[in-house]
Amino acid sequence: FFFIHLALTMSSENPFGFEFENFQRLLDIPMDISPYNYAATGTGFAIALSVVGAAWGIFITGASLLGGAVKEPRIRTKNLISVIFCEAVAIYGIILSIIFSGKMEDGDGTNFTDTDWYSGFALFNGGLTVGGCNLVCGICVGIVGAACALADAQRPELFVKILVVEIFGSALGLFGVIIGIVMTTQAKFGG
Amino acid sequence: MTDTGDATAPFFGFIGAAAALVFSSMGAAYGTAKSGVGIAAMGVMRPELVMKSIVPVVMAGVLGIYGFIISVLIAQKVAPTDYKMFDGYAHLASGLACGLSGLSAGMAIGVVGDSGVRANAQQPKLFVGMILILIFAEALALYGLIVGIILSGKSSTQ
Repeated sequence: FFFIHLALTMSSENPFGFEFENFQRLLDIPMDISPYNYAATGTGFAIALSVVGAAWGIFITGASLLGGAVKEPRIRTKNLISVIFCEAVAIYGIILSIIFSGKMEDGDGTNFTDTDWYSGFALFNGGLTVGGCNLVCGICVGIVGAACALADAQRPELFVKILVVEIFGSALGLFGVIIGIVMTTQAKFGG
Repeated sequence: MTDTGDATAPFFGFIGAAAALVFSSMGAAYGTAKSGVGIAAMGVMRPELVMKSIVPVVMAGVLGIYGFIISVLIAQKVAPTDYKMFDGYAHLASGLACGLSGLSAGMAIGVVGDSGVRANAQQPKLFVGMILILIFAEALALYGLIVGIILSGKSSTQ
């Protein structure tokens, strides 16, 4: 805590100062990183977290599906729908990350306008939104898909009913995509 | 560093929008998954009760919609120019309020939905009790939505 206090109170004019002069200086810390870095990190989050969610869901569903199909091979083909629902989450991620990466154009590199900062922050948080929502959506659909496969193995009429629960779960990834697009419509570099 | 000194404000504003949706989605996903597993397990013995037991899943989905509403409200207000630090902080608070309360409500709905649908399969009189508990859990997210709407309506042009 002492070092934080020291860092906050030191300034160029008064290196040993002990008065808290300018709180604004603390809040300018996000601007020490280039907006291009924010944009690229956001694009990375969009694809990476979406794929992690899709993969997680697929292995949860796949393991239960394969285990249940040992005794009931008829559930194999129908329950691949759960795997496809999880895959859709990864497709949302790749579409959004291609859109985001198309917004990053080469600019000056040193003089950043307010629009550049806005675009960097928008792409960073848009990518976090898309990636985070797709991550949890993929895990949710995976868990419900596993339960659906095992229920289908015991009673065939349960498949469609548990599929309704999966559809509710996959709506979460769609929300993330919509908000990601809404956030980044006005993001423009190199203005 | 910059001319206006407010260039960091969209950083906080957009974090609010992201937090609103991501945390609400986490709560909704937990509620959907936990209740869904309970429904699938219960449906093996009592398949006629499955459609009635989808209620916890619907309530968990509504949490995602709450986060979506706040996120749209915030994302449309954040602008490259004429966006002060006050707006950024207000939108950060709005997003965190709605998102984290949605996360907690989703966890409550998940656990209650799971045990509720399993208990309902064994004792049909428990359906109304399960619905009552789910409504109390949903109200938590509603409080977060109300506070989030109030906070996102605050702007510095006064």
